[in-house]
Amino acid sequence: MEKVTFDSVQVGQALPSLSHTVSQETFWKNAVASFDYNPVHCDPEWVATAQPFGIPQTVAHGMMTMSFMVSVAANWAFPAMLKITRMQSKFVRPVPAGTTVTCTGVISEKHVISPGKNFVVLELKAENQNNEILGLCKTTVVFPD
Amino acid sequence: MEKLTFDSLQVGDALPSISHTVKQETFWKYAVGSFDYNPVHCDPDWVSTAQPFGIPQTVAHGMMTWSFMVTVATNWAYPSTATITKITSKFLRPVPAGTTMTCSGIVSEKHVIRPGKHFVVVELKAENQDGDLLGVSQAEIVFPE
Amino acid sequence: MNRINFERFFETEKQKIFGTDFFADAEDYEAWDEIDFESQEDIPGEQTFEVKAEDLKYYAAGVLDDNPFMTDEEYARNSPYGGLIPHPVFLTQITFWCIGVKGRGNWIRTPGARNPGQEVEIYEPFRVGEIIHIKMRPHDRWIKRKKYYLNYKIDFYNQDNVKKACWIVELVLPKSKEDIRKFIKGIRGVEV
Repeated sequence: MEKVTFDSVQVGQALPSLSHTVSQETFWKNAVASFDYNPVHCDPEWVATAQPFGIPQTVAHGMMTMSFMVSVAANWAFPAMLKITRMQSKFVRPVPAGTTVTCTGVISEKHVISPGKNFVVLELKAENQNNEILGLCKTTVVFPD
Repeated sequence: MEKLTFDSLQVGDALPSISHTVKQETFWKYAVGSFDYNPVHCDPDWVSTAQPFGIPQTVAHGMMTWSFMVTVATNWAYPSTATITKITSKFLRPVPAGTTMTCSGIVSEKHVIRPGKHFVVVELKAENQDGDLLGVSQAEIVFPE
Repeated sequence: MNRINFERFFETEKQKIFGTDFFADAEDYEAWDEIDFESQEDIPGEQTFEVKAEDLKYYAAGVLDDNPFMTDEEYARNSPYGGLIPHPVFLTQITFWCIGVKGRGNWIRTPGARNPGQEVEIYEPFRVGEIIHIKMRPHDRWIKRKKYYLNYKIDFYNQDNVKKACWIVELVLPKSKEDIRKFIKGIRGVEV
């Protein structure tokens, strides 16, 4: 991957996107990975009646949807030694099993402070197969130069 | 106006609204009141060609529009000795002379912290005579014990 | 909830220790209307978290990320990072571990809780070998559109008291213990 410098990046630049189709097994594995065994993600029987989100299906961990979006940023930032310093997310729709989550990102702001403190803001987004927004994430990425 | 208490407030409560029709003279008087003599507010000749907002008319100071919105909050809060601690704003459309601005607000959040620190968030807005949004503002208002 | 077999997915040491039943102690979870905002003291977690390579790798795999900086120890060691670096949302694993079951902050486990979105600041990435402890305190609590929101501010420190990150953890919760009990029974205890 070519070197990414603060001068070279442009507002409006799109980051490579990614896609994952999630299943109940994905939710179980993420529960183990995060220690979040909340039944809304793990227990189809319980959720059928308890329905915290008003739907009878289990849903993805919000933190997993956020992780998918942030992976778009990390894929871009890590090889270039850029630093992800802040992430602010919003979860817009519940994500049931069977959803294909596509995450995209765009550079939305360029903050010119001083070398070592310059940063960009990325607007990341997760959508389902019907192009409905599942979540949004605003991420700050600091450049070392 | 009777004294409001934090307990008596409900999310969704509307604040009494206010209306002002603004003219060039309003802009001049605000310039004197704020020391902001920027020609975009004050100089119709200059603005007809310079057009910072892409229109040939002078426009209201954003800070004046904001002040109108905040007045809705102070009219409501001050008689009850409540304090406005934080305000944010966004100016959406330029406001030319001749606009009738109506400002309104509602209680959108109730923050239950502890006596003396409870606060509400009030969402304010300014609209013109056609119902177009001119600006929005959020105010945090702390209620005394 | 012990009817679900998670053991088949276990790979790390911590996973074999951490309990998977979020109902068992739900009666003791902090309820929205019981949170103490009076005290200004920092609250520690129930336990500390020693960062191991297996923890970082499993988290990346758990979020379907095969980024070699997060998963390939040799690749990461030969990179300018000098070793594995975590997925930026890895602190989720640290948080659930450190908060534990019975201590303050256990409202994050509430059956019926909903995640509206989060705010995280990272000062320095977590590294293998660090021992992380958290300090948290109630930050804000509010009602908006009939939903009850609560957040705690959690600061993450390593063994040298270097602040690594800050997370304002926020959830929409059932309002009271009564509403939590509905969820424990499998009945919806919140407005949707």
